[in-house]
Amino acid sequence: MARHLYNKIEQQQAPAFFVRGPSPFARLAFFSVLSLALMASDSRLQYLASMRQSLQTLLHPLQLLANAPSQLYLNTTEYFSTHDTLLSENQQLKKRDLMQSIALQKLNLLAVENAHMRVLLAAQAALKESSVAAEIMHVGRDPFTRKVLINRGQNHKILPGMAVVDAAGVIGQVTRVYPLSSEVTLITDTSLAMPVQIERNGLRAIAFGHGRDSTVDLPYLPANVDIKRGDRLVTSGIDGVYPAGLAVATVKQIVSAADTPFARIVCEPAGGVENHRQVLVVSKPQLGSITAPSLTQPVKLGLTQAKSADKKQSMPNKSVKPRDAHAR
Amino acid sequence: MPVNKLKTLYFSVLLAFMSLLLPWSQTALLVRPDFMLLVLIFWLIRAPNLCNVGTAWMLGLLVDLAAGMVFGQYALAYTVTAFFAVTYQRRLVLFTGVQQLLYVFSLLLISQVMLLIIKTFAGGQFIGWLYFLPSLSGVMLWLLAVGLGLNTGGRGRAN
Repeated sequence: MARHLYNKIEQQQAPAFFVRGPSPFARLAFFSVLSLALMASDSRLQYLASMRQSLQTLLHPLQLLANAPSQLYLNTTEYFSTHDTLLSENQQLKKRDLMQSIALQKLNLLAVENAHMRVLLAAQAALKESSVAAEIMHVGRDPFTRKVLINRGQNHKILPGMAVVDAAGVIGQVTRVYPLSSEVTLITDTSLAMPVQIERNGLRAIAFGHGRDSTVDLPYLPANVDIKRGDRLVTSGIDGVYPAGLAVATVKQIVSAADTPFARIVCEPAGGVENHRQVLVVSKPQLGSITAPSLTQPVKLGLTQAKSADKKQSMPNKSVKPRDAHAR
Repeated sequence: MPVNKLKTLYFSVLLAFMSLLLPWSQTALLVRPDFMLLVLIFWLIRAPNLCNVGTAWMLGLLVDLAAGMVFGQYALAYTVTAFFAVTYQRRLVLFTGVQQLLYVFSLLLISQVMLLIIKTFAGGQFIGWLYFLPSLSGVMLWLLAVGLGLNTGGRGRAN
C-alpha cells in the first residue's frame, strides 16, 4: 500500500523540470488551512497572546534600529534650531508656567476645600489616578485600524485598558501590552467606544470612532437632542476606565435626516490624535484620598478640619463604599 | 545550491523587513509599497528552487507580527499570491517587459484583494480606492529596479 502510494507520488513529480516537492496547489491548500486555523485561534481563543508578546520583544531592537534614522534627524534639527527660536520658546514657556502656577494654586485651594466638603457630605473620596509619560514610536501599519505604538510597556507598569491622553485631550486606550512597548487604539478607530458627557448640559452619551476620516460619532441619540455645534464632549468617568472631565471632542456637525429617528452627530477629536509625539498614559482611577504633597498642608482650614473630623467620627463606616474600578 | 544566492535572499528579506519597520505615517503610509511582497515575488520568479509557497507563508506571519494584526491574515494573502506567482513562473520566460510588469501588478493586486476580503470578513470597512495605491507604487518600484539593472527574468535578457 505504502509502496503504491510512493509510486503515485513519484509519478506526479516526474514531469517537473527539477524536484519541487509537493505541488504548489497542495502547498496552497495546506498553508491556507494553517492560516485560517491561526486566525481563528488568535482572534477567538487568545492562545497566541503570550507568543506574540515574546516575538514582539525579539522584534523590539529591530524596531529601534528602524526608528534610528528619523530619531537622528529630529535630534539634529533640534540641535541646530536657532538661538532666536529657543529664546522665544523659552519666553512663551515661562509665561505659560506663570499662568499655570497661578491656576494650580487656585486648584490646590479648591481641591483641599473639595476634600473637606466631601468629608462633610460623607461622600466617598474622589478617585485618583497615576500616569506615565510615553512617546509614540510609530503609527500602526494596518490600514484598516487606527492604532499607534508607544515606547512604554509591561516593564513600566502599563496595563491594557489604560487611557492615553495628550495636552489637549484623550487620544485613545491601551489595548495590547508588550514588555517594552504597547499598542494604543485611537478614539477614531471604529472598535473603540467611550462614555462621554456634554460639558454644557451634562447629557451622557457614548462616542464611537468613525474610522475612515479621523472623526468621532455620537450615534443612538434622538433627532431632537439638545446638542449644538461647538459643544465640548468630556469623559464622564462612569466607566471607571477614563478619569472624569478629560476633553474628548468638539461637535462639528449635526444632521437630522427624515428617514431615521436618530441624529447624525459628527465630532472632531480634541487631542492631536495624529500629530503629537508625547503622550501620557493614565491608569484607571482608584479609590483613595488626594495625597499630593501640596495638598496635605491645608491653608487656614483648621476649624473646618476639626469640625469635619467630628462629623466623620459621628457617622462611622456609613460612607465607605468601595467602588469597583475595574470596568472589565 | 548556490550559497551566495541564499545569502542574498536572506539579506534582501531582512532589508525589506527593515523598510517595513520604518516609522511611516499618514500619506507615506498610504503610498508605501509592500516591500516584503515585492522581494518575495522577485525570488519566486528568479529562484523558485530556493523559495516556495511555504516561504511566503512564513514571511506573511512576520509581516502580521510587525503590523500587530491577527496572525494569519497577511500569511494567507501572501500564500495565495505566491501560488499564482509559482504557477505562472515558467511562462514568464516568454513575457516581455510590459507583460511582466502587468503580471507583477496583478500579483500585488491579488494580495491586496485577499487582505481586503479577510478584513471585511473580520468586520473592517473598505477605506476607499486609495487602498490600492500600494500596488501602483509597488509596480513603480519594480520598474525602477528593472531600470537600475535588476535582472528579473523575461524575454530579451540574459537569464
